[in-house]
Amino acid sequence: MIAKVSYHKGHAGLHRVTPMANVLLLVGFLAAVLVSPSILVKLGVFLLVIGLLVISGERVGSFLSKTRFVLLFGVVLFIAQAFSIREGNVLLSYGLVVTDSGLLAGAQMAFRFLVIFSSSVLFVLVTDPDRLAHSIEQIGIPYRYSFVLVLSLRFVPFFRKEYRAVRDAQQVRGINTSIRGFAGLLRSIRYTLFPVLVSGLTRVDSIAISMKGRCFGLYAKRTIAYKEHWQRADWIVLFLFCLLLATSVLARKYAWP
Amino acid sequence: MSYVNGTKIAVDSLSVRYADREELALGDVSEQIDPGEVVVVSGASGCGKSTLCKALCKFIPEMIPAHVEGEILIDGLSIRNIRSQDIATRLGLVQQDPDSQICTLNVWQEVAFGPENLCLPREEVRARVEESLLAAGISHLVNRETTTLSGGEKQRLAIASILAMRPSVVLLDEPTANLDPQGAKAIFEIMDDLRKNGKHTLIVAEHRLVPLLRMHPRLLLLSRGKVVAHRSSVCHKDLEALGLRADWNLDLPPLPRAEKATLYVDRVSFGYEGISLFEDLSFKLWPGEILGIIGPNGGGKTTLLRLIAGLEKPASGCIARDGDPGVGFIFQQPHQQIFERTVRRELEVDGLIDSEDIPRVLEGARLAGLENAPPLSLSLGEQRRLTFAIALSRNSDLLLLDEPFIGQDAKNVSWIISQLVAARRHGTATVLVSHDIPLVASLCDRLLYLGERTFIGKKDEVLCQLREAGETAFTPTYWEQEQG
Repeated sequence: MIAKVSYHKGHAGLHRVTPMANVLLLVGFLAAVLVSPSILVKLGVFLLVIGLLVISGERVGSFLSKTRFVLLFGVVLFIAQAFSIREGNVLLSYGLVVTDSGLLAGAQMAFRFLVIFSSSVLFVLVTDPDRLAHSIEQIGIPYRYSFVLVLSLRFVPFFRKEYRAVRDAQQVRGINTSIRGFAGLLRSIRYTLFPVLVSGLTRVDSIAISMKGRCFGLYAKRTIAYKEHWQRADWIVLFLFCLLLATSVLARKYAWP
Repeated sequence: MSYVNGTKIAVDSLSVRYADREELALGDVSEQIDPGEVVVVSGASGCGKSTLCKALCKFIPEMIPAHVEGEILIDGLSIRNIRSQDIATRLGLVQQDPDSQICTLNVWQEVAFGPENLCLPREEVRARVEESLLAAGISHLVNRETTTLSGGEKQRLAIASILAMRPSVVLLDEPTANLDPQGAKAIFEIMDDLRKNGKHTLIVAEHRLVPLLRMHPRLLLLSRGKVVAHRSSVCHKDLEALGLRADWNLDLPPLPRAEKATLYVDRVSFGYEGISLFEDLSFKLWPGEILGIIGPNGGGKTTLLRLIAGLEKPASGCIARDGDPGVGFIFQQPHQQIFERTVRRELEVDGLIDSEDIPRVLEGARLAGLENAPPLSLSLGEQRRLTFAIALSRNSDLLLLDEPFIGQDAKNVSWIISQLVAARRHGTATVLVSHDIPLVASLCDRLLYLGERTFIGKKDEVLCQLREAGETAFTPTYWEQEQG
């Protein structure tokens, strides 16, 4: 199942900050859950992400519905980890053994996954890819690389649509592409992946012609008509970034629970 | 304004052979195009129209591998040793598929993309964006996200993006092929405006010729890569003489009365993301009947086919069939229905066509000799005929056809029509979505218009209602008679 997550225009919360500030915030979230071993910090960061989603005008219900399969995967991670670790005090022993260390490790793993995923979704929802590309150019990264990002995002809805159309075509023709065994997997790849890829490559050709036909790559630099300026909201995000880093370093140093 | 003064193009004995093909895509084409001219390049699908456009801009062979012989001179300078980007400020190409040429996510950014690449000062970029949006009639869309635009709006955006490069020659490669009649009409009007402002040479690869007649173009007719006819200041008579104006006066006999309908659509409502496409839509489709669905892009035509095929579920109401629930369904994009490595294997996937019958089926579909060809290497028109042949092989009592005529020349259109007429005779009902208004008006027993309003009924009644509603682009007159 492909979650339908993409940028849409908004004017609240993180929509108002410059794309580079959003990049910084994402780095802050990732650092916090990767550096800090504290479950409380991870829980706090997860709640902060959800809070920022709300402040930015995103509906939590819609977020949960779009990402339910990934969130479910987080729960699966928790359960798998909780049952696989046998060290620590036994809390439940009923065929399967559940220990306090297992629960803690499961929660660590699940929250780490959920924060990485939800903060990435938050970033995609509130960051205008065009503005992000310009910001990247502004800090001196060659524009060819920044456009890779924009084009990748252009292709996401296209691949989603193509995938659905190909699956529908299989249904109409009564073609069974259930993955049973290696042969089934190969058949599924050939009947699904191949048509989607071919169509993607055709589109890449047209886009390449369209870009070259408008002098993309003619010069080493290009004009950035829309310049990003650091605003007051960006300073708040910068403060949040510093706070996240400081918290995760302190949590690690003083072994917060 | 600082347009490059008129550009002169000279093509001398140009031949193009694609890397993976044996036959020539263009053979010994020599032509001269003067500043300010309007040149229409026409011909059947695969005749070399797109190849000529791409070769003039040097995308062939720079981006599409091909063996090229002969010369193309732009203002006397051979393009052999220069890059396509060096030509882009003189020649700008608008491609066929509006979706495949947009590379940013915002209208303003898209139009600014070219001038930004030219390293122009910011003020100049802004001025060009404003001017180009105005010329393409889409200033009101300036803040929109490109993904939210309709097909027609996207094509106008593609034109604006090319105009922002201020080329003196604008090439349009079947710019209306994927558009609804309204969108296509707007594109023809923009072309006419460009001609009237006198700053551009227009080279238009197009098969809908009547709306272009008001521009008094020079016509180049291609067939299998060769120029087979020239006409200057082409008119209706020329089109008739060259067999470029098909008259689909089919005059089908009335259908015999049937007791049971093939399809029942009962008070069906459906919408996406809070937008209603249709509400309480009801009709019955009788055995043999051909129902034509017309209307603007995004009006719900394809969605209705998907609902009938069971690929979507109605929000309310019901769709019922009498008898076999299977359908013969051809999608608008044929590659989405193609899965196998050869045409033969593709025909065998469903297990509905005997191996011995395959040559006969292919000959019928005008695909003889392509048995072992990879289906995805076929032209779009050929792919459509292949999927149509597969849909027919299902022998279902219901055919759902989404734009089967795109990319077909007159002979292939005739073949598809003959199959539909035969199916009609045998009692197979057909739901046909098409933007080819004159053909739909001639072939179909009834029409369903899905737009802001919904009209359904006998074709004359619906066309009359459309005329009264001011939707002239959806009436045959616009496409058959010279305008203004």
